[in-house]
Amino acid sequence: MQLSDRVTGGVLVILGGLAAWSGSRLPAVPGQDVGPAAFPMLIGSGLVICGALIALGIGRSFEVPEEDATEAAAPRFHGLRALIPPALLLFYMLASEPLGFLLTAAIIVLIGAVALGARLTLAVPLALAAPALVHLAFYKLLRVPLPDGVLPAPW
Amino acid sequence: MTTIDRRGLLGAGAALLAAPLASPALAQPRWPARPVQMLCPWAAGGGTDAVLRIAATLLERELGQPFNVVNRTGGSGVVGHTAIAQASPDGYTLGIITSEICMLHWQGLTEVTYKNFTPLGQLNNDPPGIQVNASSAYQNVQQLADAIKASPAGKFKASGTGQGGIWHLALASWLGAMGLKADHVRWVPSNGAAPAMQDLAAGGLDFTTCSVPEARAMLDAGRARSLAVMAPERLSAFANIPTLKETMGIDVTAGAMRIIAGPANLPAAVKAAMEPALKKVFDSKEYQDFMNARGFGLVYADGAGAGQALATADASLGDAMKAAGLAKT
Amino acid sequence: MNELLEAVRLVAAPDVVIAIIASAIYGLVVGSLPGLSATMATALLVPVTFWLSPIAAIATIITASAMAIFSGDIPGCLLRIPGTPASAAYTDEAYAMTRKGQPEVALGAGLWFSAIGGIVGTLSLVLMAPLLAEMALSFSTFEYFWLAFLGLMCATLVARSSPIKAIASMLLGLLIACIGMENPAGTPRFTFGLTDLLGGIEPIPALVGVFAVSEVMRAMVTAEPPKLPHRKFGSILAGQWKLTKTYQWPMWRGNFIGVIIGVLPGAGADMAAWVSYAMSKKFSKTPELFGTGHPEGLVEAGASNNASLASGWVPSLLFGIPGDTITAIAIGVLYMKGLNPGPTLFTENARSMYALYLIFIIANIIMIPLGIVMIRIASKVLRAPRASIMPVILLLCAVGAYATGNNLFSVLLVGLFGILGFVMDRNGYPVAALVLGIVMGTMVEQNFITSLIKSDGDVMPFFERPVSAVLAAMTIGALLWPLGVWIWNRTGGRRLPAQGAAE
Repeated sequence: MQLSDRVTGGVLVILGGLAAWSGSRLPAVPGQDVGPAAFPMLIGSGLVICGALIALGIGRSFEVPEEDATEAAAPRFHGLRALIPPALLLFYMLASEPLGFLLTAAIIVLIGAVALGARLTLAVPLALAAPALVHLAFYKLLRVPLPDGVLPAPW
Repeated sequence: MTTIDRRGLLGAGAALLAAPLASPALAQPRWPARPVQMLCPWAAGGGTDAVLRIAATLLERELGQPFNVVNRTGGSGVVGHTAIAQASPDGYTLGIITSEICMLHWQGLTEVTYKNFTPLGQLNNDPPGIQVNASSAYQNVQQLADAIKASPAGKFKASGTGQGGIWHLALASWLGAMGLKADHVRWVPSNGAAPAMQDLAAGGLDFTTCSVPEARAMLDAGRARSLAVMAPERLSAFANIPTLKETMGIDVTAGAMRIIAGPANLPAAVKAAMEPALKKVFDSKEYQDFMNARGFGLVYADGAGAGQALATADASLGDAMKAAGLAKT
Repeated sequence: MNELLEAVRLVAAPDVVIAIIASAIYGLVVGSLPGLSATMATALLVPVTFWLSPIAAIATIITASAMAIFSGDIPGCLLRIPGTPASAAYTDEAYAMTRKGQPEVALGAGLWFSAIGGIVGTLSLVLMAPLLAEMALSFSTFEYFWLAFLGLMCATLVARSSPIKAIASMLLGLLIACIGMENPAGTPRFTFGLTDLLGGIEPIPALVGVFAVSEVMRAMVTAEPPKLPHRKFGSILAGQWKLTKTYQWPMWRGNFIGVIIGVLPGAGADMAAWVSYAMSKKFSKTPELFGTGHPEGLVEAGASNNASLASGWVPSLLFGIPGDTITAIAIGVLYMKGLNPGPTLFTENARSMYALYLIFIIANIIMIPLGIVMIRIASKVLRAPRASIMPVILLLCAVGAYATGNNLFSVLLVGLFGILGFVMDRNGYPVAALVLGIVMGTMVEQNFITSLIKSDGDVMPFFERPVSAVLAAMTIGALLWPLGVWIWNRTGGRRLPAQGAAE
């Protein structure tokens, strides 16, 4: 996921340009001289400038050399493991209503723990206990309406 | 929004626990037999949330089942209003709707209109007022109106809420009634009534058109004066403020309404139970005390009356928005 | 005096005492959970206050919010996951101290200086409320614009990476804040036709995403860091007195800044923490130590955000204008309990006011013992294996985001912000600056646009008003600083060391 400054700077230039362009197409508000377009155009232009500076490597001298975290010897596709947490959140969004909170949460915790290298003797009890505790705290104490789904909580 | 059906099920689990307690009274299936979910399209801690929560507490006492308030915020009220309109019409998902439902569809932000709801009872209406800085030269609303008429367009600056918000439309209606264009007074959008009142006190604005309860603290502090209220009659909590009608003969009645409602096609049993219960809630000492303490306007209407009020508001707000160039359609 | 005694009696009532203790524990727990902010802790208390006496109701709000702001420091320090936006400014610093093996010093500083800040803020409320309120009322949109802008510039002062990347991150945050229709024009922008985006992006899902989720993502691809040397968790308060003496001046400056920013409606604890941390670095004798686990910034910012919390009540109590989101909720409760804000509250209802002051003081005092217990419990997570902590944090992220509006879309947002935060962090873009941009975006735009509307498009009023002119000069100075240093370095005026220049 380490990209060169050229790439990230370029992305910012494109993003800023798009923001300024689509901002400029926003309709003016009747009765006002300053409309919704002004701010996005300002921000967008700023992003274009910053992106260009970054891509050209200006300001690099300020950067503190990264004492990079010990990256595990990376087998192929190792970096893709980073996408597991967002994927699990997506799963939560799609599954929590039909499956119910307890089941969804248990699956998330189990997969998350195993992906981080936990043994099953740790992962399984954790997947049973954590969702129950979280449910108790949020459903009972904070009154958040967590969905029951196929497995309603016994309390 | 298939989520709503699932939400209905949510209550079912709790109902299993509650059912034995409630069952002795049941000869035939009657509503409510299990907890009712009350959706609030606005955030916890705000005025609408507070009104709904006190009403829900009192409804629970009237009808013997929990009424659980759930805030479904987002999309400037679109998300919550849509959730109420699209709930399954079994009476177990109701909610509170506000004047914005008569505005959002004109702006093209949602397809949902007041017709997608079954109004059960109006609990509150706050009309707009006209407030000036305490040191302002205008002693009454007529003086202010004359000065506005005599000034070039855009010289006067007013605020009270965001662009196209309910108080902006109140201003537009007032100007329209005076024969002026909607943008004759420049609207300064603000993030709600409180910042607008602060800017008024800081001398940044000529007047505000937010509701009197919202201006109350500044009025009490002697930093602002209220010149008029745009309502058919004076407010009970602010009896010394004249109406626009008695001072200028102008009949502008817009206002921020709060109405308890459910999705369209609610069963008759729900309406039959809810309407009298809401009336009792409204008449209860707790509710009256609460509303008076907050300075909220105590206006009641039954389901049909609330529907009428919504239809009127929808038409007049639509006109005001078209006049101000805010309507999409 | 009679009224003071009366107030003591009011506060000593059993229901009030129970309310204070219960809401203190509640605030500590909620604030320490990633995804649950102090604002939400307060909002969730509102239904409870229906059942309480007026004093007890106010006590729950005051106590819970003070505790939640402090305990937001705990996960930030231990796991680099700030519990509230107010902690985001100095999360990296506190976490660096933990990695150096001094978590108790970092957390103790958070606790001790939070309590001091809270008490100083309360005293300012007691002694100077009318004066401060007068100041707050003299701020119009022009001054607010510069203030917000200045707050944004703190992002570049705080960052340890290149200031250009910090500005870019902040601009990205501002762009994200443009989403939705909560802008002065009331026009939907960048919503891509999604209803869920109409209301804009809330800071909480963004904060949770870029800090907590990206931390879990990082855990997925890095080896488990070497365990901290197994040693006894030291005394939490020992050493705080020494810090107080060493950093006395930054502490008072933090208190002062916190009080001033708190009093201004619309600028709250988040901004106070940022500005104070940046000031601390700017005026420190050893700015190069910042970000490496140096307590100086924690002292100043920790004091500042709690001081702002108390002084935020000034405009709320006098004019019914909320100083921040927490007092906005509190105002509702005040009205509900018949304690209508306004000057009359101070004269006709003096004993309630004294009671309120007392509750502030008590809350900040009991924060110390309860906070110590909380820190002791929380520090257990440092011992637990990472594979058991991270999945639970992920679950809390999902539920916490959902709880902000009972809307599943927020859960998706958290995931997306996690990816964004992960990529940004990898490439040297400070994520805290992004959060600052999102938090401040609405305020900057609102005040910029409305000022232009009020001045009919003229920019001169931005510089003409006296307070406005001072703020403008400070802002432009901060803006040109990195540029000036860069030119200085280029044109042979070296040798400003790179680290010193990065401030």
